[in-house]
Amino acid sequence: MNDLSSYVGLIYQYADTVSFLTLSALGLIIIFGMMGVINLAHGEMMMVGAYITSFSFYSGIPIIISVILGGLGTAIVGIFLERLIIRRFYGQLLSSLVATWGLSLLLSQGALLVFGPQIKTVPTPLGSFSVGDLSFSNYRIFLFIISIALIIGVWSIFNWTSFGLQARATMENPKMAKALGVNINRIYALTFGLGAGLAGIAGGLFALTATIGPFYGQSYTPQAFITVVVGGVANIFTGLLGSAFSLAAVKTAFVSQYNVLMGHVSMLIVAIITIRMMPEGISHWLEQRKD
Amino acid sequence: MPSYLSNINGKNDLGNNYIYWSIFLIFLLIGLLSPLILGRYQLLNLSNHIINIFLGLSLCLIWGYCGILSLGQSLFLGLGGYTYGVVGINLIETHENTHLAVFFGILVPVFFSLVLGYFMFFARLKGVYVAILMLVVSLLFETFLNQTAGPGWFIGKAHLGGNNGLGRFSGVTREPPSLIFSFGDNSIEFVGSSIQFYYLCFGLALITFLALRFLVNSNFGYKMIAIREDIDRTEALGHNIKLIQLIIFCIGAGLASFSGILYVSWGNFITPDTFGVYNNILPVIWVAVAGRKSITAALLGSFFISWISQWLNEQGDFALVALGTILLSSMLLAPEGLIVKATKIFPLKLIK
Repeated sequence: MNDLSSYVGLIYQYADTVSFLTLSALGLIIIFGMMGVINLAHGEMMMVGAYITSFSFYSGIPIIISVILGGLGTAIVGIFLERLIIRRFYGQLLSSLVATWGLSLLLSQGALLVFGPQIKTVPTPLGSFSVGDLSFSNYRIFLFIISIALIIGVWSIFNWTSFGLQARATMENPKMAKALGVNINRIYALTFGLGAGLAGIAGGLFALTATIGPFYGQSYTPQAFITVVVGGVANIFTGLLGSAFSLAAVKTAFVSQYNVLMGHVSMLIVAIITIRMMPEGISHWLEQRKD
Repeated sequence: MPSYLSNINGKNDLGNNYIYWSIFLIFLLIGLLSPLILGRYQLLNLSNHIINIFLGLSLCLIWGYCGILSLGQSLFLGLGGYTYGVVGINLIETHENTHLAVFFGILVPVFFSLVLGYFMFFARLKGVYVAILMLVVSLLFETFLNQTAGPGWFIGKAHLGGNNGLGRFSGVTREPPSLIFSFGDNSIEFVGSSIQFYYLCFGLALITFLALRFLVNSNFGYKMIAIREDIDRTEALGHNIKLIQLIIFCIGAGLASFSGILYVSWGNFITPDTFGVYNNILPVIWVAVAGRKSITAALLGSFFISWISQWLNEQGDFALVALGTILLSSMLLAPEGLIVKATKIFPLKLIK
């Protein structure tokens, strides 16, 4: 293996880890930033997205549209669940955590009963390129670009639309926003739908690279949780990007030096040390530097 | 009642009058007499449900009384169980008892909770983060232990065995020993299916229950509850909230480790599943469904819901769906817990 290909390999791995962390945590951090609730059914939202993507793909719909359908379908499921269950737990953070966990149990076990332990996988598109004697998947590069594009998209929604304005106002001070005529129930439902939809899209996108089963989402959630905890929600975007880029660096280094398990362990240790020094996460720390 | 015992009869549990204690006595008698009529298999199961009580009580103590939700409480059960197993396998031949295995089975989880708790509570970490981090740490242990199937993973004579865990399924000859206590030349072995083991678990559960009632009604108990109700105000009144949280967290870890040690000596095996999602969600279901703010409710919940879930498992694949439904519907209909709610619906005055 020559130098060039190993450098390209490292950069490729780094970009891949960044897109893995940002995509799997984006929906989670939006819901957390808005309501203070860490949605423990996040992995199941990804699973729903992956299932819809796979079913639409095999009924003849082009793959890109299948992924978008996965996102939309999951968003609708999210809004439905928010109206039905989640909204009854606002203001009780720990109870809402338990409730979403119950939901996650229900969804994953329900999927197992209805669809069995595995459904048809979707082939990875876009082929591959090679540098030296290593070959790389084009789709992973595409995922990196998509994850950045999605973040920019969500940023635009929050900054340039009237929904975004109302959502930021609700996030800042729900009572005041309500007093000024914002329908905060609608904002909560839509934000939850947006978060679920993004989880669904992430689920659909990853579905093209993995086997899909009822517990498909659970392999993504622990790292998504760590990303959110390290990032904090003083600012969703700096939090997510700061935490994903730094955690990915640590993980890539440890994975290439040791093994995947050490990669996970290193992320966790970095997370525990980070929160000891900045309990509100990287974004809060950055916001303080700004002033 | 002597004054130093009056804490046991305080107000911070479901009841404290003569009706409450009469019901308690009935349960006590049923518990003491049931081994005389039950068969070996039923007794084995009954012991298993009693073992779960310690895990449920540990979550009830930290979450229900001190407001620290841990979604990874089974982590301490697993750590205690694995430590007991490893030390037991190594020392059983030379020592012919399991004293040190029990000692380390409690010490290791408590020490681990001390380190983890220091990082969490002294950073004033938000409750949501604590809950999530515990789950993540527990899942990481599961991942780690699942990949220990190779020949390199020996601790002394104990092979960690990958996802087969410690025990007869892992292919090594030795399995974790049953509890053996020796006094001088006499020694008693508590085989998992024996009456002795049942009475050991039952007695330990009884002592733990009374000790926890003493704890939550003590001065320290009132501080815990103050933290649950309003952490900032408690600190403003001059209490060292971080230290109180850390102590409670460690006591919780110790209690959960009882479950781990008893569980391993009951079945002579333990697998990495112990650290997984389902073993972590179960105690949350027991405590949340029964009533997290009451030791009595949590004890009954742990025992009976783990009984029900075993029964559901025998009926078919829908057991976990049913448990999820029970959890969600009880949280929606009776946020304080079903047992606590039941005492309010029926005009049953349990508090003096």
